[in-house]
Amino acid sequence: MRKWKPNWTTFTLTGVTLALAAVALGQGGSRMVFDGLVSGGQTLLSVIPLLLAAFLLAGLVQALVSREVVERWLGSSSGWRGILLACLGGALLPGGPYVYCPIAGAMLQSGAGLGVLMAFVTSKNLWSVSRLPYEFAFLGTHLTLIRYGLTLVIPPLVGLLTEALFGGAIGRIREAVQ
Amino acid sequence: MNQATLILVVLALVLLIYAWRRGDGSHRRGVSMGWRTLKRTLPLLLVAFIIVGYINVLEPQDLVSSWIGPGSGWRGLLVGTGAGMLLPGGPYVVFPLIAALYQAGAGLGPTLAIITSWSSLALLTVSFELPFLGWRFTAIRLGICLIIPPLVGLVGTLLFGG
Repeated sequence: MRKWKPNWTTFTLTGVTLALAAVALGQGGSRMVFDGLVSGGQTLLSVIPLLLAAFLLAGLVQALVSREVVERWLGSSSGWRGILLACLGGALLPGGPYVYCPIAGAMLQSGAGLGVLMAFVTSKNLWSVSRLPYEFAFLGTHLTLIRYGLTLVIPPLVGLLTEALFGGAIGRIREAVQ
Repeated sequence: MNQATLILVVLALVLLIYAWRRGDGSHRRGVSMGWRTLKRTLPLLLVAFIIVGYINVLEPQDLVSSWIGPGSGWRGLLVGTGAGMLLPGGPYVVFPLIAALYQAGAGLGPTLAIITSWSSLALLTVSFELPFLGWRFTAIRLGICLIIPPLVGLVGTLLFGG
Protein backbone atom coordinates (compact mmCIF):
# COMPACT_ATOMS: atom_id res chain seq x y z
CA MET A 1 0.00 0.00 0.00
CA ARG A 2 2.38 2.69 1.18
CA LYS A 3 5.29 3.45 -1.07
CA TRP A 4 8.58 2.41 0.46
CA LYS A 5 11.24 4.64 -0.94
CA PRO A 6 14.72 3.74 0.21
CA ASN A 7 17.11 6.67 0.16
CA TRP A 8 20.56 7.72 1.35
CA THR A 9 19.39 8.43 4.86
CA THR A 10 17.93 4.96 5.24
CA PHE A 11 20.97 3.28 3.70
CA THR A 12 23.51 5.16 5.80
CA LEU A 13 21.63 4.74 9.07
CA THR A 14 21.04 1.05 8.46
CA GLY A 15 24.71 0.60 7.60
CA VAL A 16 25.81 2.36 10.78
CA THR A 17 23.38 0.27 12.84
CA LEU A 18 24.70 -2.99 11.39
CA ALA A 19 28.30 -1.88 11.94
CA LEU A 20 27.57 -1.00 15.57
CA ALA A 21 25.76 -4.31 16.09
CA ALA A 22 28.81 -6.10 14.68
CA VAL A 23 31.10 -4.23 17.10
CA ALA A 24 28.76 -5.14 19.96
CA LEU A 25 28.81 -8.79 18.84
CA GLY A 26 32.61 -8.76 18.88
CA GLN A 27 32.83 -7.06 22.25
CA GLY A 28 30.14 -8.80 24.26
CA GLY A 29 28.60 -11.50 22.10
CA SER A 30 24.92 -11.80 21.22
CA ARG A 31 24.08 -10.64 24.74
CA MET A 32 25.39 -7.18 23.96
CA VAL A 33 23.62 -7.05 20.59
CA PHE A 34 20.39 -7.66 22.48
CA ASP A 35 21.25 -5.16 25.25
CA GLY A 36 21.77 -2.45 22.64
CA LEU A 37 18.30 -3.05 21.21
CA VAL A 38 16.76 -2.98 24.69
CA SER A 39 18.59 0.21 25.63
CA GLY A 40 17.51 1.90 22.40
CA GLY A 41 13.92 0.80 22.98
CA GLN A 42 13.96 2.12 26.54
CA THR A 43 15.33 5.46 25.43
CA LEU A 44 12.67 5.69 22.73
CA LEU A 45 9.91 4.86 25.23
CA SER A 46 11.14 7.51 27.64
CA VAL A 47 10.95 10.24 25.00
CA ILE A 48 7.57 9.33 23.51
CA PRO A 49 5.66 12.20 25.22
CA LEU A 50 8.37 14.58 24.02
CA LEU A 51 8.25 13.18 20.51
CA LEU A 52 4.47 13.45 20.29
CA ALA A 53 4.55 17.05 21.50
CA ALA A 54 7.39 17.92 19.09
CA PHE A 55 5.64 16.39 16.07
CA LEU A 56 2.34 18.06 16.99
CA LEU A 57 4.05 21.44 17.32
CA ALA A 58 5.93 21.04 14.05
CA GLY A 59 2.70 20.04 12.28
CA LEU A 60 0.87 23.09 13.64
CA VAL A 61 3.62 25.47 12.54
CA GLN A 62 3.42 23.86 9.11
CA ALA A 63 -0.36 24.36 8.95
CA LEU A 64 -0.25 27.96 10.21
CA VAL A 65 2.51 29.28 7.96
CA SER A 66 1.69 28.45 4.39
CA ARG A 67 4.14 28.48 1.56
CA GLU A 68 2.02 31.04 -0.31
CA VAL A 69 2.24 33.52 2.57
CA VAL A 70 6.05 33.33 2.67
CA GLU A 71 6.33 33.62 -1.12
CA ARG A 72 3.99 36.61 -1.31
CA TRP A 73 5.86 38.21 1.55
CA LEU A 74 9.30 37.93 0.02
CA GLY A 75 8.58 38.60 -3.62
CA SER A 76 11.59 40.31 -5.12
CA SER A 77 12.56 42.42 -2.12
CA SER A 78 16.09 43.72 -1.83
CA GLY A 79 18.49 45.74 0.31
CA TRP A 80 18.61 45.78 4.08
CA ARG A 81 14.88 45.37 4.44
CA GLY A 82 14.84 42.52 1.94
CA ILE A 83 17.60 40.69 3.77
CA LEU A 84 15.85 40.98 7.13
CA LEU A 85 12.52 39.91 5.63
CA ALA A 86 14.24 36.95 3.97
CA CYS A 87 15.71 35.95 7.35
CA LEU A 88 12.28 36.09 8.94
CA GLY A 89 10.68 34.15 6.08
CA GLY A 90 13.39 31.49 6.19
CA ALA A 91 12.99 31.11 9.94
CA LEU A 92 9.20 30.71 9.75
CA LEU A 93 9.00 28.50 6.67
CA PRO A 94 8.41 24.90 7.76
CA GLY A 95 9.58 21.78 5.94
CA GLY A 96 12.83 20.31 4.67
CA PRO A 97 15.04 21.10 1.67
CA TYR A 98 12.38 19.82 -0.73
CA VAL A 99 10.25 22.78 0.43
CA TYR A 100 12.66 25.68 0.71
CA CYS A 101 14.90 24.90 -2.29
CA PRO A 102 12.05 25.22 -4.85
CA ILE A 103 10.91 28.43 -3.12
CA ALA A 104 14.43 29.85 -3.24
CA GLY A 105 14.58 28.86 -6.91
CA ALA A 106 11.32 30.72 -7.56
CA MET A 107 12.65 33.77 -5.69
CA LEU A 108 15.78 33.66 -7.83
CA GLN A 109 13.74 33.66 -11.04
CA SER A 110 11.44 36.44 -9.83
CA GLY A 111 14.40 38.73 -9.34
CA ALA A 112 15.64 38.35 -5.75
CA GLY A 113 19.24 39.44 -5.13
CA LEU A 114 22.05 37.14 -4.02
CA GLY A 115 22.13 38.59 -0.48
CA VAL A 116 18.40 38.05 -0.04
CA LEU A 117 18.61 34.46 -1.29
CA MET A 118 21.62 33.67 0.87
CA ALA A 119 19.96 35.18 3.94
CA PHE A 120 16.83 33.13 3.24
CA VAL A 121 18.68 29.81 2.91
CA THR A 122 21.03 30.46 5.84
CA SER A 123 18.20 31.55 8.07
CA LYS A 124 16.16 28.48 7.12
CA ASN A 125 19.21 26.43 8.08
CA LEU A 126 20.08 28.16 11.34
CA TRP A 127 16.92 29.83 12.68
CA SER A 128 14.31 27.29 11.58
CA VAL A 129 11.34 27.61 13.93
CA SER A 130 9.77 24.31 12.88
CA ARG A 131 12.96 22.47 13.86
CA LEU A 132 13.11 24.14 17.25
CA PRO A 133 10.77 21.64 18.98
CA TYR A 134 13.01 18.69 18.05
CA GLU A 135 16.21 20.43 19.08
CA PHE A 136 14.63 21.47 22.33
CA ALA A 137 13.24 17.99 22.96
CA PHE A 138 16.47 16.08 22.47
CA LEU A 139 19.27 18.47 23.35
CA GLY A 140 17.60 20.31 26.20
CA THR A 141 16.97 23.97 27.01
CA HIS A 142 20.57 24.92 27.80
CA LEU A 143 22.23 23.65 24.61
CA THR A 144 19.39 24.86 22.38
CA LEU A 145 19.43 28.38 23.79
CA ILE A 146 23.21 28.61 23.41
CA ARG A 147 23.01 27.32 19.83
CA TYR A 148 20.24 29.73 18.74
CA GLY A 149 21.81 32.61 20.65
CA LEU A 150 25.20 32.17 19.04
CA THR A 151 23.85 31.85 15.51
CA LEU A 152 21.38 34.75 15.80
CA VAL A 153 23.51 37.29 13.91
CA ILE A 154 24.78 34.91 11.25
CA PRO A 155 21.99 34.86 8.59
CA PRO A 156 21.72 38.66 8.09
CA LEU A 157 25.50 38.91 8.24
CA VAL A 158 25.98 36.21 5.60
CA GLY A 159 23.35 37.95 3.44
CA LEU A 160 25.07 41.33 3.64
CA LEU A 161 28.52 39.83 3.13
CA THR A 162 27.60 37.81 0.03
CA GLU A 163 25.71 40.77 -1.45
CA ALA A 164 28.78 42.97 -0.98
CA LEU A 165 31.29 40.40 -2.24
CA PHE A 166 29.46 38.45 -4.92
CA GLY A 167 26.23 40.39 -5.55
CA GLY A 168 27.20 40.96 -9.18
CA ALA A 169 27.18 37.23 -9.94
CA ILE A 170 23.39 36.96 -9.58
CA GLY A 171 22.79 37.38 -13.31
CA ARG A 172 24.98 34.46 -14.20
CA ILE A 173 23.51 32.34 -11.40
CA ARG A 174 20.00 33.07 -12.69
CA GLU A 175 20.86 32.27 -16.31
CA ALA A 176 22.60 29.00 -15.42
CA VAL A 177 19.49 27.67 -13.66
CA GLN A 178 16.90 28.76 -16.22
CA MET B 1 7.34 15.10 32.78
CA ASN B 2 10.52 17.12 32.38
CA GLN B 3 10.98 20.79 31.60
CA ALA B 4 11.42 20.41 27.85
CA THR B 5 8.28 18.25 27.53
CA LEU B 6 6.25 20.71 29.57
CA ILE B 7 7.36 23.70 27.47
CA LEU B 8 6.64 21.85 24.23
CA VAL B 9 3.21 20.72 25.39
CA VAL B 10 2.29 24.26 26.49
CA LEU B 11 3.51 25.73 23.19
CA ALA B 12 1.61 23.09 21.22
CA LEU B 13 -1.58 23.83 23.17
CA VAL B 14 -1.23 27.58 22.62
CA LEU B 15 -0.77 27.09 18.87
CA LEU B 16 -3.59 24.56 18.78
CA ILE B 17 -6.00 27.04 20.40
CA TYR B 18 -4.80 29.82 18.10
CA ALA B 19 -5.27 27.59 15.04
CA TRP B 20 -8.72 26.57 16.25
CA ARG B 21 -9.73 30.21 16.80
CA ARG B 22 -8.73 31.05 13.25
CA GLY B 23 -11.70 28.95 12.27
CA ASP B 24 -10.28 27.73 8.97
CA GLY B 25 -9.66 24.16 10.02
CA SER B 26 -5.91 24.71 10.42
CA HIS B 27 -5.99 23.05 13.85
CA ARG B 28 -7.15 19.81 12.26
CA ARG B 29 -4.67 20.18 9.41
CA GLY B 30 -1.83 20.82 11.87
CA VAL B 31 -2.59 17.73 13.92
CA SER B 32 -2.86 15.54 10.84
CA MET B 33 0.35 16.97 9.36
CA GLY B 34 2.24 16.24 12.57
CA TRP B 35 0.76 12.74 12.69
CA ARG B 36 1.64 12.08 9.05
CA THR B 37 5.24 13.22 9.58
CA LEU B 38 5.48 10.95 12.61
CA LYS B 39 4.12 7.95 10.71
CA ARG B 40 6.41 8.59 7.76
CA THR B 41 9.52 8.94 9.90
CA LEU B 42 8.76 6.10 12.31
CA PRO B 43 11.02 3.51 10.61
CA LEU B 44 13.93 5.98 10.59
CA LEU B 45 13.22 6.93 14.19
CA LEU B 46 13.40 3.28 15.22
CA VAL B 47 16.74 2.86 13.46
CA ALA B 48 18.08 6.08 15.01
CA PHE B 49 17.14 4.89 18.48
CA ILE B 50 18.75 1.49 17.92
CA ILE B 51 21.96 3.43 17.16
CA VAL B 52 21.43 5.42 20.36
CA GLY B 53 21.03 2.11 22.21
CA TYR B 54 24.34 0.80 20.87
CA ILE B 55 26.08 4.06 21.77
CA ASN B 56 24.72 3.50 25.29
CA VAL B 57 25.90 -0.09 25.70
CA LEU B 58 29.19 0.14 23.81
CA GLU B 59 30.29 2.92 26.17
CA PRO B 60 32.48 4.76 23.68
CA GLN B 61 33.36 7.41 26.30
CA ASP B 62 37.11 7.15 25.73
CA LEU B 63 36.77 7.27 21.97
CA VAL B 64 34.30 10.17 22.07
CA SER B 65 36.29 12.26 24.52
CA SER B 66 39.57 11.77 22.68
CA TRP B 67 38.02 12.88 19.36
CA ILE B 68 35.44 15.46 20.33
CA GLY B 69 35.77 15.76 24.12
CA PRO B 70 35.92 19.06 26.02
CA GLY B 71 39.71 19.13 25.70
CA SER B 72 39.88 18.22 22.04
CA GLY B 73 40.52 21.81 20.94
CA TRP B 74 40.65 22.78 17.27
CA ARG B 75 40.74 19.19 16.14
CA GLY B 76 37.49 18.48 17.98
CA LEU B 77 35.82 21.48 16.33
CA LEU B 78 36.98 20.37 12.87
CA VAL B 79 36.01 16.73 13.44
CA GLY B 80 32.60 17.93 14.69
CA THR B 81 32.15 20.07 11.59
CA GLY B 82 33.07 17.16 9.30
CA ALA B 83 30.76 14.79 11.17
CA GLY B 84 27.89 17.28 10.91
CA MET B 85 28.31 17.54 7.14
CA LEU B 86 27.96 13.77 6.83
CA LEU B 87 25.02 13.26 9.19
CA PRO B 88 22.01 12.14 7.15
CA GLY B 89 18.34 12.70 7.86
CA GLY B 90 15.94 15.15 9.44
CA PRO B 91 16.01 16.67 12.93
CA TYR B 92 14.08 13.78 14.51
CA VAL B 93 16.87 11.42 13.43
CA VAL B 94 19.91 13.62 13.92
CA PHE B 95 19.16 15.22 17.30
CA PRO B 96 18.79 11.93 19.24
CA LEU B 97 22.17 10.84 17.85
CA ILE B 98 23.87 14.11 18.76
CA ALA B 99 22.30 13.92 22.24
CA ALA B 100 23.71 10.41 22.69
CA LEU B 101 27.19 11.62 21.71
CA TYR B 102 26.88 14.60 24.08
CA GLN B 103 25.93 12.26 26.91
CA ALA B 104 28.83 9.98 26.01
CA GLY B 105 31.20 12.86 26.70
CA ALA B 106 31.37 15.14 23.67
CA GLY B 107 32.37 18.70 24.61
CA LEU B 108 30.08 21.71 24.29
CA GLY B 109 32.14 23.30 21.48
CA PRO B 110 32.31 20.21 19.24
CA THR B 111 28.61 19.50 19.90
CA LEU B 112 27.68 23.03 18.79
CA ALA B 113 29.91 22.55 15.74
CA ILE B 114 28.12 19.28 14.84
CA ILE B 115 24.65 20.84 15.14
CA THR B 116 25.59 23.99 13.21
CA SER B 117 27.41 22.03 10.53
CA TRP B 118 24.55 19.58 10.02
CA SER B 119 22.13 22.53 9.83
CA SER B 120 24.02 24.61 7.31
CA LEU B 121 26.49 22.35 5.49
CA ALA B 122 24.80 18.93 5.25
CA LEU B 123 25.98 17.40 1.99
CA LEU B 124 22.64 15.67 1.36
CA THR B 125 20.95 19.07 1.28
CA VAL B 126 23.36 20.27 -1.38
CA SER B 127 21.92 17.74 -3.83
CA PHE B 128 18.50 19.40 -3.38
CA GLU B 129 19.93 22.87 -3.69
CA LEU B 130 21.89 22.40 -6.92
CA PRO B 131 19.02 22.00 -9.41
CA PHE B 132 17.20 25.08 -8.08
CA LEU B 133 20.03 27.48 -7.32
CA GLY B 134 22.97 26.25 -9.38
CA TRP B 135 26.56 25.37 -8.49
CA ARG B 136 27.74 28.99 -8.26
CA PHE B 137 25.27 29.76 -5.49
CA THR B 138 26.15 26.58 -3.61
CA ALA B 139 29.88 27.21 -3.97
CA ILE B 140 29.57 30.76 -2.60
CA ARG B 141 27.32 29.56 0.23
CA LEU B 142 29.58 26.70 1.27
CA GLY B 143 32.67 28.90 0.94
CA ILE B 144 31.28 31.49 3.31
CA CYS B 145 29.50 29.10 5.69
CA LEU B 146 32.37 26.64 6.10
CA ILE B 147 33.92 28.74 8.84
CA ILE B 148 30.70 29.12 10.83
CA PRO B 149 30.47 25.76 12.70
CA PRO B 150 34.03 25.83 14.10
CA LEU B 151 33.54 29.50 14.99
CA VAL B 152 30.24 28.85 16.79
CA GLY B 153 31.90 25.97 18.66
CA LEU B 154 34.87 28.15 19.60
CA VAL B 155 32.75 31.07 20.83
CA GLY B 156 30.48 28.64 22.70
CA THR B 157 33.46 27.08 24.46
CA LEU B 158 34.92 30.49 25.35
CA LEU B 159 31.62 31.85 26.69
CA PHE B 160 30.05 28.81 28.32
CA GLY B 161 33.03 26.59 29.11
CA GLY B 162 33.90 23.12 27.88
